[in-house]
Amino acid sequence: MPLRPARIGRVGVIGAPVAKAAVVGAAVRPGPAPVAKAAVIGAAVTPGRRRRI
Amino acid sequence: MAEHELDDLGPVDYLVIEFPAGHQTFTGEIAKELVNLVEAGTIRLIDAIVLAKDENGDIEAVELADAGDLGPLVALEADLAELLAADDVVNLAAAMDPGSVAGVIVYENIWAGPFAAAARRAGGQLIANGRIPIQAILASIEADEPLEPTGV
Repeated sequence: MPLRPARIGRVGVIGAPVAKAAVVGAAVRPGPAPVAKAAVIGAAVTPGRRRRI
Repeated sequence: MAEHELDDLGPVDYLVIEFPAGHQTFTGEIAKELVNLVEAGTIRLIDAIVLAKDENGDIEAVELADAGDLGPLVALEADLAELLAADDVVNLAAAMDPGSVAGVIVYENIWAGPFAAAARRAGGQLIANGRIPIQAILASIEADEPLEPTGV
């Protein structure tokens, strides 16, 4: 089905071809790994964890 | 849009959610959660389209209103602003694999509007933003093991 006429000929807002975000896609693949990863990420945001510089 | 409304406008983002061929299980859950976000005032849905890319790379764009049974999205469809232009469709579809279907949403982060406006009123300017991939957080944590909690 065609796009609505209001979308044709207008200046776009995206600007350039978008690249696939492969990293984000991999993060949400099903399976046991994300469960373990969730625990690790949980640890990353646990209060009391401090950066070491 | 009045100047005060522009001042309170939250950041506008877009998402392209791809459903690869053979992995398209639509139960209505996505629509329900999207409506929940809008009704909670977390986001304002500005635009939404459905894209399909065939095996030859040809793109078909479908307006949300033409995408079949909208379920709870009916309530949102009437308020869409049709921000995306035809050129945007081509640019967004560049990220898709052949044979996939993708939902595209453009939304205002209402939750961030008051904070952003306050920052502007204080003279602040947004000079960088972005998203930290989960993998980057994992890599950082794994490189930092063992964790050393402090202040406990």
